[in-house]
Amino acid sequence: MRLQAEAIRTHPQNGTEMLNSLHNLIFMPLAELEVGKHYYWHIGGLKVHGQVFLTSWFVASLLIGVAFLATRKVERIPSGLQNLMEYALEFIRDLAKNQIGEKEYRPWVPFVGTLFLFIFVSNWSGALVPWKLIHIPGSELAAPTNDINTTVALALLTSLAYFYAGFRKRGLGYFAKYIEPTPILLPINILEDFTKPLSLSFRLFGNILADELVVAVLVLLVPLFVPLPVMILGLFTSAIQALIFATLAAAYIGEAMEGHGAEEHG
Amino acid sequence: MLNGLNGLILFAIETAAEEGGGLFDLDATLPLMAIQFLILAALLNAIFYKPLGQAIDDRDAYVRSTRANAQERLAKAERLAQEYEQSLADTRRQARSVVEDAQAEAQKQAAQSISEAQQEAQAQREATQKQLDEEKQAALSQLEQQVEQLSQQILDKLLGAAV
Repeated sequence: MRLQAEAIRTHPQNGTEMLNSLHNLIFMPLAELEVGKHYYWHIGGLKVHGQVFLTSWFVASLLIGVAFLATRKVERIPSGLQNLMEYALEFIRDLAKNQIGEKEYRPWVPFVGTLFLFIFVSNWSGALVPWKLIHIPGSELAAPTNDINTTVALALLTSLAYFYAGFRKRGLGYFAKYIEPTPILLPINILEDFTKPLSLSFRLFGNILADELVVAVLVLLVPLFVPLPVMILGLFTSAIQALIFATLAAAYIGEAMEGHGAEEHG
Repeated sequence: MLNGLNGLILFAIETAAEEGGGLFDLDATLPLMAIQFLILAALLNAIFYKPLGQAIDDRDAYVRSTRANAQERLAKAERLAQEYEQSLADTRRQARSVVEDAQAEAQKQAAQSISEAQQEAQAQREATQKQLDEEKQAALSQLEQQVEQLSQQILDKLLGAAV
């Protein structure tokens, strides 16, 4: 549904039709906002959100393309794109190293790094690419992280990853962490396994959606200059959200491998 | 206006939910997205994390080994410089001692030559003195002889005339 049209309908007055068409004329390309409408694809009886996949493919191909260009000719003295991507990789490695630890972090770099890069590029594509100019039926294109399915998928993968890491490192001893430091905390420890993906997914989803909504509403109210600071703030929060997601994922993995018992010695 | 917008967003959620959509519309997008993400991670691992990580590690190893090598060579150079200085000092000392020896030798030789020359001169002077003395002696004796002869002759003449 279109926001500005509704805004006018909630304030019924004379000349509504005229105003409506005026608004449509002025704001329509800028201030369209559709919430909770999806461009459905039906694949073998399953419904999927087409707009999410379209933009996520864009993000994925952008990442793959840049990675391909950066590693086409790896040199000892890096320059240009290779330098940039090495900087990104070092950043990711540091992140994983800080959270997981020097000894164990290497196998987790691809997972944590892809989380960070995918979320970061998704968020920024939502903020920087004028998706709204491309019309698709029934919905509109936006950042893939704008959709709860994407964030829940990433959060559940993170849960699976830290369970896998914990079991692989400590075997069945991983369950010991549920009664540490005392069995009284067992329900809370179990609850944590649910709150972790929930908070991860809703934090990202909420932030990105709220950011887009705020920008859209501001554009609707004052279409010139005023939304710019909010947009810049949006870029900042988008980057921070990507960093938070990747850092927390790495922290959960590190925690699962470390265990509460090992922490005392470490 | 803001109230209107608020209601609007709620309305949006409601209408979307009625149509089978909505903000929290979980469906097959979720597992597909998860699979897609894992594929992306695997792909990026193959074309990004592995080669660039390899490059970074290689560079680290290269820098470390080059550094160690350079440090080793620096130590070696310092050792060599020290050795050279040592041998230079040795050579200087040797050269000084050679010069001193040569000077001492030369002085000794000079002194010896001088003393020899003095001795020779002394000997020559003595020899000359002796010869002179001898000649003087001879001349004196000859002179005495002549004096005697002359005096004899004078005597003879005087006496002869008288005799």
